[in-house]
Amino acid sequence: MKAVVIGTGRIGCGVAAQLLRAAGLEIVFVGRNPQVVDHLNRVGRYIVRLVDSRSSEDFVVTGVRAVLSSDASRVAAEISGADIVATAVGCGNLMSIAPLIASGLAQSRKRRTNVLAFENFGSAGDCLSRFVAGCLKGTRRASTHAVSGALVTRVVARREGDPAGDEPLVFVGDRQATVYVDAATLAAPLPAVEGMVITDRYDAAVQRKLFTFSAGHATAAYLGYLKGYRYIHTAVCDPEIRADVLEAMAEGQKALLARYGPDIAGDERTLHEILSRFDNAALNDSIERVGRDPVRKLAKEDRLVGPACLAREAGIIPEKLMLAVAAAMLFCPLADRAAMELSRTIRCDGPTAALCRVSGFSPDDTLAASAVRAYRRFASERPERSQLLSLEQPLWA
Amino acid sequence: MKIAFLMLRYASEVRSPVTGDVIRLLGEWGADVEVIYPEEQVISLNAVRADHDLYVLKSRTELGLGYAGALDAAGATILNPYAVSVRLRDKIALTALLQAADVPTPQAYVTAHPGSLAPLLKDGPLAVKPYRGSGTRGVHVVWDPEDLDDVPSNQGPVFAQRLVERGSTETKVYYIGGQMFGVKRAWPARTYADKCGTAFTVSPKLREIAQRCAVAFGIDAFALDIVGSHDDPNVVDIKSFPTFTGVPNAALRVADYIYDAALRATNRRPMLVAAAGRKAS
Repeated sequence: MKAVVIGTGRIGCGVAAQLLRAAGLEIVFVGRNPQVVDHLNRVGRYIVRLVDSRSSEDFVVTGVRAVLSSDASRVAAEISGADIVATAVGCGNLMSIAPLIASGLAQSRKRRTNVLAFENFGSAGDCLSRFVAGCLKGTRRASTHAVSGALVTRVVARREGDPAGDEPLVFVGDRQATVYVDAATLAAPLPAVEGMVITDRYDAAVQRKLFTFSAGHATAAYLGYLKGYRYIHTAVCDPEIRADVLEAMAEGQKALLARYGPDIAGDERTLHEILSRFDNAALNDSIERVGRDPVRKLAKEDRLVGPACLAREAGIIPEKLMLAVAAAMLFCPLADRAAMELSRTIRCDGPTAALCRVSGFSPDDTLAASAVRAYRRFASERPERSQLLSLEQPLWA
Repeated sequence: MKIAFLMLRYASEVRSPVTGDVIRLLGEWGADVEVIYPEEQVISLNAVRADHDLYVLKSRTELGLGYAGALDAAGATILNPYAVSVRLRDKIALTALLQAADVPTPQAYVTAHPGSLAPLLKDGPLAVKPYRGSGTRGVHVVWDPEDLDDVPSNQGPVFAQRLVERGSTETKVYYIGGQMFGVKRAWPARTYADKCGTAFTVSPKLREIAQRCAVAFGIDAFALDIVGSHDDPNVVDIKSFPTFTGVPNAALRVADYIYDAALRATNRRPMLVAAAGRKAS
């Protein structure tokens, strides 16, 4: 059996291909970076290094090859022969890969091919499915294709190694291996893949991850950035941040409890387990990486505003989630284009208009007002490029 | 990741807890941390090797500095670099560099004989300091020519600065990997609580001064002693890798910085975070 994995980044290599290869599938990557594609073909393998505070374990993923995404006919030929197509390209790139997938599926002799979107947002399967359907319009595959979301729980923090060299690249992540796949949209039965859980409650699983783990991760990143830390494991050592991260996750968890019940929401121990994952210094997970693209992360259904709105429905005041939203509005590393753009919009249009634009709040929404109040409290006396010394009584360094 | 601290062992009652906490945190984060006390061993200069990814030069003793020099020659990566640490020890070179970088400093003089300073006293008092010293040790405040008799004349060049009154408080600006922290504290500080002082927001003027120092010396971890008024601050001393006492969450911030520096060292990335290539602005 063969899997085509579109995307040669952290999730494509560090999760999707590793699990599929371990299940015995042949792996063909589709990548847009010629240097990485050439490297994978030359070296034929890479390493997934799973780390925690005590140990690390290497998994060598062998027998891989790759084709360039610009070589559309070769990509289509590979996809036409694939049993599984996996994508891990980031939500902004789904539209651009849809024609490649559609072209491959149109040529395929298989009646049904599973397409799994290993993307970190809930509606990735639906989005990609629509894009592919648009490309397949009028073909015999138009009504038979399907795309399932595949929710990744592992953090893959970084890639090490030089694609120009001959040593295998190393993808460093934590030990979480579970991938939840949306049962409702599978095109055909999946082969047994260790770590892959087919679930009928995919949306709930997505919200569980976003509203607890991702909410806590983002809170640590944005508050950590304000206080000038470089790494997530450092930020959560700061007692103020640790307490707020835990509280933000608790707000999300209470919202999940009201919506889905305890099976999905988990309990206090669940949150401490998540927090201990943030303590994992071996990941060297930087605050800039985790906070990257606050515009996407402040979206209505994403990790901060999503649980805040659900919490409000359940009668919970999401104070710490809104604090994290305020901190996200101040997140502006120079290398983060989306963050810089948000910062510019806030300067030009004011914080309320900017937040409403990215999060879908109406200007008179009380949650938006509380986030903007917190933002103003932080921003009013902030010297340029300064660090916050205390969250309680804002004093800047 | 292997990190070594070159330190002088202090009695527990004068030791700042910050460095111990930094070492503990780095260990908890998986770094292999060794503390080296050069004063407590015989160092074979034929066998000095850079066995660690990063060395943190905390000791300001001649032996500590000498050992850092030997490690530097063996190719070690040192925070702060050996050459810079040497320069910071020499108040004559230090003052010249600060002035070249347009950092405001009190008028300074150097001479071979303390008595030669007498004519300068008509314009006000001087602080006469050992040219290779740190802190307040060996500092003489001289108001009258006869006070110069107390200044040792056989300890190398005599360095003097025009005295700028600091009153009952002193101002420190700490620089940690591009980040700046201000602390005001009682002068002289007698207790640990005195040393912790009170954090304040660093003014744009002090920020610019600290950034100029970082660029001029090529260092990322230091403290500035500031005297003078809010509008007319003067730098009277700069210390490489101080204890950072008084900086809120100092241990966490310093450990974060050293961890990042060690990662840079292991990945052969440039060591200086903020000082390199950034103009003072």
